[in-house]
Amino acid sequence: MIYADCAATTRLSSRALDEALPYLRDAYGNASSLYSLGVNSRRAVELARARVAESIGASPEEIYFTSGGSEGNSWVLSSVASGSVLTSPFEHPSVWRGCERLAKRGVRIHTLPVDRSGVVRVEDVARAAEFLSDLRLVSIMSVNNEIGTIQPIAEIGTFLRSKGVLFHTDAVQAVGRLPLDVGSLGVDYLTASAHKFNGPKGVGFLYARKGVAPPPLILGGEQERGFRAGTENVFGIVATGAALVENVEKLEENAQRERATIRATLERLGELLLPTEYFVVGSESERAPGVADIVFGGTGGEAMVQILDFKGVCVSSGSACSSGQDRPSRVLLALGFSEEEAKSAVRVSFGRDNTPDEGALVAEAFAFAYHKIVGARGRA
Amino acid sequence: MKSKICYVCGKEITKRNDVGLNKKLIAKDTKIFYCLDCLAEYLEVDVDFLLEKVKEFKEQGCALFGGDDS
Repeated sequence: MIYADCAATTRLSSRALDEALPYLRDAYGNASSLYSLGVNSRRAVELARARVAESIGASPEEIYFTSGGSEGNSWVLSSVASGSVLTSPFEHPSVWRGCERLAKRGVRIHTLPVDRSGVVRVEDVARAAEFLSDLRLVSIMSVNNEIGTIQPIAEIGTFLRSKGVLFHTDAVQAVGRLPLDVGSLGVDYLTASAHKFNGPKGVGFLYARKGVAPPPLILGGEQERGFRAGTENVFGIVATGAALVENVEKLEENAQRERATIRATLERLGELLLPTEYFVVGSESERAPGVADIVFGGTGGEAMVQILDFKGVCVSSGSACSSGQDRPSRVLLALGFSEEEAKSAVRVSFGRDNTPDEGALVAEAFAFAYHKIVGARGRA
Repeated sequence: MKSKICYVCGKEITKRNDVGLNKKLIAKDTKIFYCLDCLAEYLEVDVDFLLEKVKEFKEQGCALFGGDDS
């Protein structure tokens, strides 16, 4: 099997598992307990918090562990009670659905225009911020989860900081994969999910700049300094810290490998298919390493994914099939692609464990699936 | 369900799940259909593999497939 869906999830790092496993078995103390077994768990949680903080240039007291990116995004949005929120049209559902809920409560939601490049323009943010006198929050993801485009977060953050507007970035696809420093980015909130950087599923974190933490999410105990009550997932938190440190240590090495792997895919694809038969969304210089969203004309993205699965290749489609009907990619529609194009996209996303040889094999599987689907349809 | 005719062998395709496989793996609006045997050969897999995929698609709640394989 070739796993090429690392934007969906990643394999848990062995180092993270080794470091965290004792906290599921022998060192199972509740981190709030007063005896040594509990103190040991508390120390492990705080070490992980310090590691996470250091990895993004934050202070430990600015890190709140969560269940993942969706929780962090919902938490940040829930802090807005009035005024306006500015966001992009291609945010994760946890952001746009959160915005929909805010709209029902009277908060005005404004969406930035974005063209087929898939990159938000700083000048559009500036224009909107000048126009919206009641702007409370801007929420723009760091890297789009479907097409992999990197957004100009630092430029936007610098501008918004000068205007005193709070800025949130959903950095789920960026943390542990791109160099990030919350100070340089100028963000007030940053959300992350551990399973995207070889950590465990069900754990993530929210960075909230000191002094602007959102209201408590869960009331009860004093865990997460009273902002998110509930016994800590010590295993998950320890594994998160270990996985992030490991990925940050090898950030450039991993990125180079992922870039080489995606290039191998696209080069081989160029040998096997005609330029008129497919295109890649966004330019290479604006995409995160290892990610490409490829539109194969005349196919359905879901059929491509299924036939690739037959060949032992795991990729994703932005379009969804939950009722027997193809639903086009919401992201591609927002960028101005046609409905047919938005139904025909397949995302390939490599990680640190993939190799260029695998990248070339993925291209061969793409070409196989493309010819099977288009060949069958062409006989009608 | 209106039956379909296999593009390759001319066999009548009467099972909903066989039609569903064509729609799932070729196109929702496909105008041509393959019987299970010919579809497996075309996609270079075996029939049992496709039948296993039908189970997966049902578990995922895909409306193209029915519970009774009729």
